[in-house]
Amino acid sequence: MNGLCIMQNDINKFVKGTEIFLDHPDFSVGTTPSEVVYREDRMRLLHYIPAVQKPYPVPVLVTYALVNRYYILDLQPDKSVIKKLLELGFDVYIIDWGYPAGMDRYLTLDDYVNGYMNNSVDKIREISGMDKITLLGVCQGGTFSVMYASLHPEKVKNLVTLVTPVNFETDKCLLNIWAKNMDVDKIVDYYGMVPGDFLNSGFLLLDPVKLMIAKYVGMFDQLDCNSNDGNSSLHNKEVLENFLRMEKWIFDSPDQAGETFRQYIKDCYQKNLLIKNEMVIGGKRINLKNITMPLLNVLAEYDHLVHNDASKPLIDAVSSTDKEMMVFPTGHIGIFVGGKSQREVCPRIAEWLKPRSYTNGDNGANEKKSKRKRNNRKSKQSVT
Amino acid sequence: MDSSGSEPAHEFFEAWLNTYEATLGRLVEMPAIGPSREKYDKMMTGFSNFANFYIGWMDLNSDFQKVFMESMKKMHEKIETEMQGEISPDKYKQLYNIWIDTYSSTFKEFMSSGHFSSEMGKFMSYFLEFQKYNREMLEENYLKQMNLPTKTDIDEINKELFALRKKTKELASQIDKLSGKGHSTL
Repeated sequence: MNGLCIMQNDINKFVKGTEIFLDHPDFSVGTTPSEVVYREDRMRLLHYIPAVQKPYPVPVLVTYALVNRYYILDLQPDKSVIKKLLELGFDVYIIDWGYPAGMDRYLTLDDYVNGYMNNSVDKIREISGMDKITLLGVCQGGTFSVMYASLHPEKVKNLVTLVTPVNFETDKCLLNIWAKNMDVDKIVDYYGMVPGDFLNSGFLLLDPVKLMIAKYVGMFDQLDCNSNDGNSSLHNKEVLENFLRMEKWIFDSPDQAGETFRQYIKDCYQKNLLIKNEMVIGGKRINLKNITMPLLNVLAEYDHLVHNDASKPLIDAVSSTDKEMMVFPTGHIGIFVGGKSQREVCPRIAEWLKPRSYTNGDNGANEKKSKRKRNNRKSKQSVT
Repeated sequence: MDSSGSEPAHEFFEAWLNTYEATLGRLVEMPAIGPSREKYDKMMTGFSNFANFYIGWMDLNSDFQKVFMESMKKMHEKIETEMQGEISPDKYKQLYNIWIDTYSSTFKEFMSSGHFSSEMGKFMSYFLEFQKYNREMLEENYLKQMNLPTKTDIDEINKELFALRKKTKELASQIDKLSGKGHSTL
């Protein structure tokens, strides 16, 4: 193929892509059926409709980073972590942090961890009749889950952390380097609510040339213009729809509650207090040694946002005896989006979770007992 | 002086900065006297805020110019070695890939340097001071005069509301505990 033909082919791809865009492709996200079981301020707790008749008794609560939206794990119907977990037999809940605004600027880490998270956990315990639940935290949501598990170990049966930073003293990741020189007081005092777009600009600076140019060229480059059959049109439509889903997820970034942002940057990124067991929220010190429940720490080998050096130390910092670390050869986003996540990451997490998703020493029989016990306790309290 | 690089622009800016600091910069930082000294002092801070912001922006700009030049130089070398100096339509894709890889790696290298981090931190700081000053002036000189609510007023109301919401939650939780219910959905 000579040069002019290659150029002609690329122009055709661009035209094809534009035609598909003009047809307003459907790229809905977060399509797995769910119901809202609890609301508090702007936060919602979603319960996904189980896909099996008898799910594992211990429910799973998913938490994610404040800068993202809850559909991060349910981006596209055929590659959804949530859907996969449901199909594998789990009873899944997720916290939707919502879009904080106005007075939410005064929300602190204490409000998020000991408030919203704790109330959600209590609600799930009430619905499921279980005393303890599994926490599955992604990225900053994982850090929140670690904090929660340390402060409320009696309510956590298993802790699963995905690409979660706990040690912020590393120069292998740009975010850690930049945060050291960030005057967070000035940012929070000026903005109040730290704009999601402001943070996104930071993420784009991680690799500006690839994220602002190559990514979009690559999108058109994936299109097939050599044949006009149905398969080719379907392929092209799928490529663009999936691209738009990612694009929506990346730029649909809620603003950050100022006080939470202030403490998170100062205590974690600048002083690295969490791993030193010196971080305090709501007047209570977070001691990672309080974490005694089974722990699964999942890492992405090529993570450019949370370097492995930031995630690995969790394993040695906790007191759990039943603990495991899994490293997958993918990037930060690849852990929860894409084919590898479906084929390898989700099934491995599920395999680890299954035997641990029953009440102690039982594989199902105690579930009803536990529910009865809870109902009895409630009725006793009512009598009192 | 190398006229092909960004050095002349940088040198010009340095000269301008030195002159500003020795002349107008000193003048605007001089303490004011008289009945309108408070207002005048506040207004004058705007000059130094703007000067700082401009300096931070120019420093960062000059750094980025250097990275662009560096990337271009590397790209030129790569074209010589990897494409034998020949740019033809057949090889335009190869050229594009070299362009993306070279610029990406050079920019990433720069972004991961302590220098960029500290310059960016400084720039952000100056930018926020400047913005904060603008907002204060807008509130002071216009919104308050026209009896319109300011962001500061709204922040204060939000703070009050937040405290009230927190108190309500505490009370609701205590009521739930006393009545033996689970927590209520607010």
